[in-house]
Amino acid sequence: MASEIADAPTTREPSGRSKPSWRQRNPLWLGDLATVVLALLVLFPFLWLIQISLRPKEELFSSSILFTPTLENYLALWKGNFPFSFVNSIVSSTAATVLAMIIGVPAAYALSRGRFRSGRQIGLWILVTRMAPPVAFTIPLYISFRWLDLHDTRLGLVIVYLTFSLALVIWMMKPFFDSIPRELEEAAAIDGCTTWQTFLTVTLPLAGPGLAATAVICFIQSWNDFFFALILTRTQASTAPVAIVGFIQYVGWEWGRMAAAGTLVMMPVVLFSIFVRKYLVRGLAAGSIKG
Amino acid sequence: MTALSSTAPARGAWSDRRDASLFLGLLPALVVLAALTAAPGIYLVLTSLTPLNLANPGSAWDFSQPLGNYVSMFEDPRFLNSVAVQVKLSLSSVVLQLFSGLAVALLLHANTRVRTIARSALLIPMVLPPIVVGITWLALFTVDISPLHRFMEGIGLPIPPLLTNPSTALWAIVFAGTWQHFPFAMLMSLAALQMVPDSPIEAARIDGASRSQIFWHVRLPFIAPTLVVAGLFILIDSVKAFPLIFIMTDGGPGEVTEVTNFYVYRQAFTFSLWGYGSAIATLMLAGVFVVSYAIYRITSPKDDHGQ
Repeated sequence: MASEIADAPTTREPSGRSKPSWRQRNPLWLGDLATVVLALLVLFPFLWLIQISLRPKEELFSSSILFTPTLENYLALWKGNFPFSFVNSIVSSTAATVLAMIIGVPAAYALSRGRFRSGRQIGLWILVTRMAPPVAFTIPLYISFRWLDLHDTRLGLVIVYLTFSLALVIWMMKPFFDSIPRELEEAAAIDGCTTWQTFLTVTLPLAGPGLAATAVICFIQSWNDFFFALILTRTQASTAPVAIVGFIQYVGWEWGRMAAAGTLVMMPVVLFSIFVRKYLVRGLAAGSIKG
Repeated sequence: MTALSSTAPARGAWSDRRDASLFLGLLPALVVLAALTAAPGIYLVLTSLTPLNLANPGSAWDFSQPLGNYVSMFEDPRFLNSVAVQVKLSLSSVVLQLFSGLAVALLLHANTRVRTIARSALLIPMVLPPIVVGITWLALFTVDISPLHRFMEGIGLPIPPLLTNPSTALWAIVFAGTWQHFPFAMLMSLAALQMVPDSPIEAARIDGASRSQIFWHVRLPFIAPTLVVAGLFILIDSVKAFPLIFIMTDGGPGEVTEVTNFYVYRQAFTFSLWGYGSAIATLMLAGVFVVSYAIYRITSPKDDHGQ
């Protein structure tokens, strides 16, 4: 239910029987106009950053709307260390997502189907994990990473990302499994399938869209991380968001390059989230609305 | 439920065996969560009872004054200041995000083509990497490059630099944060509005209720529980505020934007006072636990682990 807000019809629109006086005073086109104005205002900062990244240096501070777009900022990034950080981001976010899915999906299924005495406590634990301020994890993890030689490694980053992505996968997948009818599984069980054979052959294929959405949102969360990467990496494993900070701290105020790097970092997220917009509520609200 | 109760006598050995085998699937996740969250949590609480300072390794397991950190917290003006900043940031974030999210949701709640597209497009700020939101608003609040400043100057109302002014810096951050997070309250409100049944609205309309009367007396009571949950989520997220502050003001000017989260970061990672930082983080964790528990109680219906 909560998953279909983006597209589902929200009100029954006038089919002729609605009170004319009520509608006439509030024509729909007026609301549409307000919507367009609002959307442009809200998205202005986002679009403005993209155009800054395409501006040549000389025209950075000019207020003219027209300029000859250039890729010089992107080329400057390509020649620097940024591609390296970008690859680090891709590798650690992907690895964290894959691991979280492998461990989390069966757990979500077990929580959906099984009856465990401490099911409620496990649910609360997962919620707290998702809510806890990252700084509470970083202090102990920073100290143990120094012992284990995991500081400034991609592996270390993947492990840290599991702290929130595993909870996210379990939290998102459980409602998907809840909504798949059990009758099909019971039929398979009668045919002699074991619990986990049934899961793999019957339930998992039906949960396909849920799996895709969960993986994408999980990836976005790791990709967007700034805090963990800031503290637990230095040079070898530093990610793209942390590299952006470098443009402020070391090179002076490199607005053009900063905007180009920002654009590159946000593009995958924006594209991905368009694919999964129906499920964003469930992921970001952690299933807080139940129908 | 019906399927199970109709075969109630058959439930028993088969389903116990099934539960046992399901538990095997849950086990790896529990082990990893324990290793990654429970163990650090315990370590954090233990460290908070010591004066651990990385410059002095002997202080690691020194439990001679277990509550020392907790006592000095309340004598530390900078900590108390960070709590005050946190309260200002959290309350204003909750109010502004709920208000703007609900307002936008009421506008987008009609089903026209334009508004359907807008419902997706307006999600963008929420999914952007926080660091990108940070640099965008840092630029927009920087006088020599920002079109906002240029525009206000053009119409004869120049605004001074907001981020370096102690009386406006926090509000500039709250504004950027609201821009980033309002879609969440918008989505929650849209979902709740969608579940308001039509019949009471129709009835009120026939009785001649105005639009605002319908909102206050019919719609709002229906969506209020969802708004409460949304508010609690916003509250928790505001406690984690970090990237925007790190990028835009670095806690300054002075300490006016140094929220508690940021102060812990300073204590632990700038001053290496791990014991003290852990104590504050422990208190924050306790607060998050209380709010999470409230959310859990509100959102888990009676049929909690039911079908």
